[in-house]
Amino acid sequence: MEASHFDERSFFSAVHASGVRALLIGRRALVLLGLPLLTADYDYWIAIDDIERFNTLAAAFQLHPTRTAADARRHGRYVLENDEHVDVLVARSLPTLHGSPVDFEGLWTRRHTIDVGTVPVCIPSLDDLILTKQIASRPKDLEDVRLLRILKESPR
Amino acid sequence: MIPQAVEAAVSRVVSPDELRLALESTIPAAEREEVLELVRWFTTRYASGEARLAYVRQAVAQWQRAHATRGRG
Repeated sequence: MEASHFDERSFFSAVHASGVRALLIGRRALVLLGLPLLTADYDYWIAIDDIERFNTLAAAFQLHPTRTAADARRHGRYVLENDEHVDVLVARSLPTLHGSPVDFEGLWTRRHTIDVGTVPVCIPSLDDLILTKQIASRPKDLEDVRLLRILKESPR
Repeated sequence: MIPQAVEAAVSRVVSPDELRLALESTIPAAEREEVLELVRWFTTRYASGEARLAYVRQAVAQWQRAHATRGRG
């Protein structure tokens, strides 16, 4: 594995500057919202047309795709990795466990931004984060659903 | 390294009923307050998004170092 000196803020800055439609999902989005959770990985859902640009900016951080862009489009997901691990969803739509479609375009339209330093990072709305957690539907996703419900139902 | 049985348990797909419960069940007031207290602590101690993410990276790195040490020992 290739060692990197990953600068998180620089990575977010490169994502923002690239114009790639990229949503930070997963537990890092929950951390930005104020939930103290541990996670080693980054999770993104990006527009299917933006794979090449996302890979180009990631290459500057020595992050290498596990699939070609064409292959990623067929599978709906891929990974960027070195000693960091970035899971990337690229499907236009994915079903929840109950079979309801979750569309990237809808998530993107309803997105929120949170500043990391001076860099805006795009994340789904609280309702949409709850939906994204229902795609994988593992036990830890259900824990996150409860945490997100508490945030959503509490005055801030 | 995470044992296979643990990996299988955390990676399994939950049942539709488990998901429905997580989405619809009433969350007890005590659980709600405990979570909100944690959020208050975290967002006060680490007031910016950048500080919160930095805390997570540091905590994960510490955890990984500790487990690598145990693995060698």
